[in-house]
Amino acid sequence: MVRTNLKIGFRNILKNKGFVILNTLGLVVALTAVLLISLWVHSELTFNKSLTNYDTIAGVRQHYSQGNEIRTSSGQPWQLAHALRDQYGSHFKHVVTSSRPNSFNITHNNNIVASKGRFVESGFAKMFDLKMKMGSRDVLGDISSILISESMAKNIFGTENPIGQVLNLSPKMKVTVAGIYEDFSMNSNFNELDFIASWELLKTSQNYEERLGWGNSWFLLYVQLHNKDALDNVSTIIKDVTKDNYEYARETGLQDLFLFPMSKWHLYSKFENGVNIGGKIESVTIFSLIGFFILLLACINFMNLSTAQALKRSKEVGVRKTLGSSRIQLIIQFFTESFVVILISFFMALLLAYILLPKFNMITLKEVEVPFTELSFWFICLLIVVVTAILSSVYPAIYLSAFKPVKVLKGLSSNNKTTIGFRKALIVVQFSISSILIICTITIISQINYAKDRPLGFNKDLIVSVPINTMKVINSFETIKSELLTSPYVDQVTASDVKVTSAYTANGGDFDWKDKDPNMQPEFYTIRATEGFGKMIDWEILEGRDFSRDFPSDSLAFLVNETAVKYMGLENPVGEFVRWNKNGTYKIIGVVKDMVTQSPFEPITPSLFILHNGRFLNWVNIKIASNSTTAIESTLAKAEAIFKKHDPKNLFSYTFLDDDYERKFNTEKRVARLVGIFSFIAIFISCLGILGLSTYMAIQRKKEIGVRKVLGASINSIWKLLSKQFIILVAVSLAIALPLGYFISSEYLMEYSYRVNLSVWTLVLVAMITLGVTLLTVSLQAIKAAIANPVDSLRIE
Amino acid sequence: MANTLLSLNEATRTVNSGSNKVTLLDNINLQVKEGEFISLMGPSGSGKSTLLNCIGMLDSFTGGGYTFLGEPVHSMKEKNRSKLYKEYIGFVFQAYHLIDELTVWENIETPLLYKNVKSLERRGLVADMLDRFNIVGKKDLFPIQLSGGQQQLVGIARALIGKPKLILADEPTGNLNSKQSTEIMELFSQLNKEGVTIIQATHSEKNASYGSRIINLLDGKIV
Repeated sequence: MVRTNLKIGFRNILKNKGFVILNTLGLVVALTAVLLISLWVHSELTFNKSLTNYDTIAGVRQHYSQGNEIRTSSGQPWQLAHALRDQYGSHFKHVVTSSRPNSFNITHNNNIVASKGRFVESGFAKMFDLKMKMGSRDVLGDISSILISESMAKNIFGTENPIGQVLNLSPKMKVTVAGIYEDFSMNSNFNELDFIASWELLKTSQNYEERLGWGNSWFLLYVQLHNKDALDNVSTIIKDVTKDNYEYARETGLQDLFLFPMSKWHLYSKFENGVNIGGKIESVTIFSLIGFFILLLACINFMNLSTAQALKRSKEVGVRKTLGSSRIQLIIQFFTESFVVILISFFMALLLAYILLPKFNMITLKEVEVPFTELSFWFICLLIVVVTAILSSVYPAIYLSAFKPVKVLKGLSSNNKTTIGFRKALIVVQFSISSILIICTITIISQINYAKDRPLGFNKDLIVSVPINTMKVINSFETIKSELLTSPYVDQVTASDVKVTSAYTANGGDFDWKDKDPNMQPEFYTIRATEGFGKMIDWEILEGRDFSRDFPSDSLAFLVNETAVKYMGLENPVGEFVRWNKNGTYKIIGVVKDMVTQSPFEPITPSLFILHNGRFLNWVNIKIASNSTTAIESTLAKAEAIFKKHDPKNLFSYTFLDDDYERKFNTEKRVARLVGIFSFIAIFISCLGILGLSTYMAIQRKKEIGVRKVLGASINSIWKLLSKQFIILVAVSLAIALPLGYFISSEYLMEYSYRVNLSVWTLVLVAMITLGVTLLTVSLQAIKAAIANPVDSLRIE
Repeated sequence: MANTLLSLNEATRTVNSGSNKVTLLDNINLQVKEGEFISLMGPSGSGKSTLLNCIGMLDSFTGGGYTFLGEPVHSMKEKNRSKLYKEYIGFVFQAYHLIDELTVWENIETPLLYKNVKSLERRGLVADMLDRFNIVGKKDLFPIQLSGGQQQLVGIARALIGKPKLILADEPTGNLNSKQSTEIMELFSQLNKEGVTIIQATHSEKNASYGSRIINLLDGKIV
């Protein structure tokens, strides 16, 4: 029976090639999208899960007040680990301080390799269950030992035995390789961790013991619990540990610790005013939904095309019933037929997904692979196939099998009104979903363009920044500067603590000025730079003057931005004084026009600019004189030579300021590309559907069209006749989709402070795109039917 | 004396057409004995097809009694009824109604599939049937590749494969030329002689004369 059903299935496929190709094409495209999304979702949901103690590891986070809001940070002072171990040790299996991942240039026999690593306390190896390839993992208590990853070992030593080899992390840090660990999974927070060194090494070499107090929340703190159920309890117990040890925290009121379990790190990382409000899980949900909708669209095509062909199949149903077939047997038969198509489509989609995965990874920035060997993967595949089969074939199978033999064998039409109504409703669903996706795409793109067009307040072009890796560069900055300036291509040279596109240094607390509201807890972002920085980035001074060599007192002077003036409530800011706790009292010498120094989507923050020549400098910025390739290349070559000379231990690297700025749009661009692709797929599938239906209707109404033409109907009027009903359906879809899409887009835009206003034109554009594409698709068939010779269509069969 | 195959007692079939009640079959009383060959005659719309459909259980009477092999069909559940006609009744149609997607062999085989006959046995039965109808050479052809007469031959073969007691034929030669018609009617006589009960609906006096009994219908009544 099954064999016969399969056989008939295949013969029907061959007989209705056109429809099957439409069906399959839609399904393959949809299934490919669903597979790619599923792989991505799966990888997001299993993030960090490869780590042995996934369930029991947590990070210690803190809520603290800044201004009027509560912020949440993962940073902790190094003393906290000791306090937790000493006072609450019984609750934990391990308590481990780790540095944030640091970039180091590792030197081995004059060979420099860029690497990223952490300095950790010794419990780390057991807590994260390092899998050793060589050597021992129990060496992290030893200041002179280092563990390196398998890939790093290959990179540095090739086939040589790495154990016992000496590496230089910096002049002060000389370490011996004591073990090689298996690389962490790419799908974890510890991916690309090239080395793990002893916390003591960092602490000693940087003299943290003396330099850093409870106020320096610079490090990460991981704990492992005895069992995962204790999390909430222990989290409450340790809440006040910082306050107990740190007087300032007690005074300012809020500095509450809590445990944030590993299972939430990746997907639920966002906090707003002390409340966990989700995070990446939103993308996971949204893309899962999009995937489901795309599958639904393809399934709707399947339903529509199968039921539209009912007339063709009704005779067969009638005959089979008279031959003794039960309804269930017919349902099974139709189901088998659909299943054949679905299964074929699925494997084509799998192949396509496999081919497209690298491209998809480039957009999502993940390294997802098709896990052919994993059982769970095939289980998901099975689930997708079953869902597709149910969505697309159950209704047609039930509908087709319900025909009454007496009726259909007499040749009565079996396309009753309910089915036609149902098909119309399905088309409305399809086009509503597609239009909503198009609206979302256009919204995201216009938001990106809107933010890109935001006036920056500075000129980001032709500025290249070289990171400062050693004090030597700072000490010889003036020499470096003059050496660079000997090149005709170098226009200006300055140094700064941050790049002007990313001012991240927030300073809270102890500022005071004339008529300051005593209850205000101010926060300013600062940019420190050498003289000439403002001129280099071409900022605009609205009042007062720039820093100048002519005023030695400028070392205690601020330039402030417009927002800061408003923030402080100063009427005549120039000449006012601001006291900044121990740092001294600064004079405001000028006001700078607001610049976008942070996210282009956020409001501008109150900022202070400080003249600085010392140890905080992190970047040497070079303004290139012209945008010719020669100028850029020769400047970079010159800079590299000069930096090699002054800092031979470190690799020379650089970034362009305009690239840095462009990178701020990466997330949005990625989302725009993905949603764009998916909305294209959606409208494509929907069009395949109406292409199929209009073809079918043109065949069905062949005779009617013939008669009409004989009676004198023009091609134009027949084209209208056939297209009208689809246009009406799409219009109905738009009536649903436009308000809904507008609502969704507005919600999306609420995420951004600096946001575009959705104009009516966007909606008009979407309506025009959708209607245009529909008209084009339907016309293909309508015109073909309209120009057909009526003699042929009226010939009696 | 032959057994009674089926009997109709005041069997009536009405349909609602809008607000009107239309009577298609009006108090039909009929007894059919095993081995009979009955020809139903009457003008178009007299109820021949409806009577055949109702006897064949594709349609049902709305009143009166219908007994088939001693079982009361009128009070049966759909499932049992379908079991009954699957077992005992074969249909032959004016338009042949072969399944276009299936070959001759597969068309003939289909009823056996629905009766869950084993593969090996099916093969034997179908081969015998092809042999008997001299269409072995056509077994792999599709209906569209056959002439009308050949298609009807396949249709009859298909009706016979399940060894039914009763064959219902609705104008079996309506789409055939006279030579093909004669062949088909000869075949029916032959089958009837072998013991199969046949009820055919026909317009043709000539075809009707093959039957052992002629029943004339007019406006849903036996006249």
